[in-house]
Amino acid sequence: MRRRPSVPRPARGTPVLRTGEQVAVRRIRWTLAIFAVLVLATTAKLVEIQVLDAADLAAVSERQRARTIELPATRGRIYDRDGDVLATSVQAATVYADPRAFRATETPDGLEVPAAAVAADVAAALAPILPQDAATLTERLEQDRHFVYLARQVPHEVGEEVRALGLPGIGVLVEPQRLYPAGPLAGQVVGFTDIDAEGLQGLESVYDTVLSGTPGTLLLERAPGGLDIASGVRELSPPEPGTDVVLSLDRDVQYVAELAAADALERFDAVGASIVVTEVGTGDILAMASSPGFDPNDRGDEDPSDRRNRAVTDVFEPGSTQKALTIAAAIEEGVVSPSTTRSVADSIRISGSTFTDSASHPTAQWTVTEIMERSSNVGTIEIAQELGPERLDAYLRSFGYGRPTALGFPGESGGLLRHHEDWWGTSLPTIAIGHGVAVSLLQLAQSYSTIANDGVALPPRLVRGTVGEDGRLTPVPSPAGERVISTTTAAAVRAMLEEAVHGERGTGGLAQVDSYRVAGKTGTARKPAEGGRGYSNDYIATFVGMAPADDPRVVVAVMIDEPRPIFGGLTAAPVFSEVMQAALVALRVPPEGAGDDLDSALQLAAEHAARIASAEVAAADAAARAVIEGGPGLVDGGEDSDPSEQAAGDADPP
Amino acid sequence: MSAITAPLRRTRPALERPGDRHLRVVEEPTPRHTLAYAIVMILVFAVAVFGAVSLNALAAGASVEARALDAHVTEAERVYAQLIADVAALEDPARVRAAALELGMVPPGPVRHLSLERNLPADGAVPDTRTPDAAADPLKPLLSAER
Repeated sequence: MRRRPSVPRPARGTPVLRTGEQVAVRRIRWTLAIFAVLVLATTAKLVEIQVLDAADLAAVSERQRARTIELPATRGRIYDRDGDVLATSVQAATVYADPRAFRATETPDGLEVPAAAVAADVAAALAPILPQDAATLTERLEQDRHFVYLARQVPHEVGEEVRALGLPGIGVLVEPQRLYPAGPLAGQVVGFTDIDAEGLQGLESVYDTVLSGTPGTLLLERAPGGLDIASGVRELSPPEPGTDVVLSLDRDVQYVAELAAADALERFDAVGASIVVTEVGTGDILAMASSPGFDPNDRGDEDPSDRRNRAVTDVFEPGSTQKALTIAAAIEEGVVSPSTTRSVADSIRISGSTFTDSASHPTAQWTVTEIMERSSNVGTIEIAQELGPERLDAYLRSFGYGRPTALGFPGESGGLLRHHEDWWGTSLPTIAIGHGVAVSLLQLAQSYSTIANDGVALPPRLVRGTVGEDGRLTPVPSPAGERVISTTTAAAVRAMLEEAVHGERGTGGLAQVDSYRVAGKTGTARKPAEGGRGYSNDYIATFVGMAPADDPRVVVAVMIDEPRPIFGGLTAAPVFSEVMQAALVALRVPPEGAGDDLDSALQLAAEHAARIASAEVAAADAAARAVIEGGPGLVDGGEDSDPSEQAAGDADPP
Repeated sequence: MSAITAPLRRTRPALERPGDRHLRVVEEPTPRHTLAYAIVMILVFAVAVFGAVSLNALAAGASVEARALDAHVTEAERVYAQLIADVAALEDPARVRAAALELGMVPPGPVRHLSLERNLPADGAVPDTRTPDAAADPLKPLLSAER
């Protein structure tokens, strides 16, 4: 590079004459300096923005742009054993308002912002659509808040209608709503959720974590105006839907059981009724009905006590149904056999108390089978005395008394059974015949299921499994059985129970089911007094049994609270028959004996149809006569003279 | 008369001229196609801008389409869930019973089972391919439209 010739510096004070090149160089230097300063300043600012304050600024930016929406997970469905839906979720609409839109406001600068609309006008537009009157809506719209609900979980179509109005300050959200399509069916078992889909009662509460799933998120970018940026960031973390739960309940059997319980409530003027149906061999609960019931879709007006699942929460003294367990223990321990004969009086005095049979009779030689068939208190007490308190206590606990079942249902009671060391003089005879001990209906059904299942106790099961996203059923592990009595003892007790239903002196004749042999036992027990001491004048009527007697498939337990008449053989037994019939049909259990050929089956069907037709014609004639004569409603009188009720009234009390 | 000498006037120093400057032939600069170059650059820029805008528009369009599809899926899922609830409500045993009674049906009689004179294909029997004979086939009267 060629060196630029040096320019002699002029003496101090001597005017300097610069050449054009020098001027240009000087200007360039100044420009460069200014540029350098600008670059430095810019660089410093960039460093500040990009390095020093980067994190804070990024966070501010994200807050301005990002919008995270929580996506609620779909709650799992609840099915019965055949896949029929008992509880499901649908998308409902929730209408809300921003009341600020209906009042004039001021900006920070003092400028007045008029209201976007008049609250009364908006309320008048919404009132015909929403299930609320205009005055209530106006009151809500004029509240001093930023957000108010106008209607939650209304049908989707209602939400669309509101959205179409385009009212200022009014918005519509999509919200899941829990529905129970069959209404009150199995309401106390399935339970319900609150409005935010959190399980509150029943299986909805027990399996809340399984059913609820995991909510997802949707991250969007939005412009300053609030609109989503279509090409912006869109991060979707999809919600994980809840797992479906498959119950062991059979919807049809459950319906028949609930119908029978409600009918029993009305027919026998009772305050409550419960029915449990279990499948032998699996422990599956096919039905668990309690009456009065409630509709989970329409809560609010019913008595809260109607929501409880009486079959597991309420306990009662089992009465004579207990005798089968006492005698089973005695047979298993070799104390007696079904054919052992005993001299049985109609009363026995123990520790200063006298125990009597329900009907007076002379002292007689009865076999153990006859003691069971006649439901003799004295005979059973004598057998229990030979068995002893320790063994009776141990067997009753093995049958499931004194502790909650493995069901884990909310509010389930374990019943009441004192340890034998705490028994006093009259405890043994009292407990032997089903007093001084309390069980739930489920515990009673479980104990009879053990007898039906050849002596092996299986814990009751209400949930068969879960259905995940793959749509496959994941069954819950099969419960392990525990032998309580031998197969021989179980068969012997079943035979005795069969006599109690089909025998000449059996107390459970009304429990018979057409074309099937039934084994079962009636029970009638006084209710303890409210104060906890002594007994009241009210009764609990029960019947527990199984069918077919020789190879049981189903166990049905019926409890009626304060029926009129009081006897289990007259009230609970016919209810048992009705429910057992439906359960056997549902499980396709063939009737006993040879089948009919087609001609005879058609003949029977024709006769049945003819009977019903003639009954209808008679009823129509009676109604017509009543209209012509202008007298009182003979149709009502006809219904009162129901043949089945007459049969019940004519039956001998147990 | 005194003579006052006037101060010596400084003479402006002669400007130094660079002694080594020589005249040289200035060649006419090679003509550059500035206009064409500018047009090309503008075109490239325009294409780039157009491409960027187009891609952005396509992305936005695809995003809108995706959102529309999402909305369709959501709506279809809503309808599906509603239909499941509706079907379950229609299958409600209480509703079915009420509807059956309204249609004049009656509760069934006692349960019976039939012993058929011959096995059905579902029971493992070989299907009879011969022309059905009303006399030989006891089920025919039941299935016949004449009944």
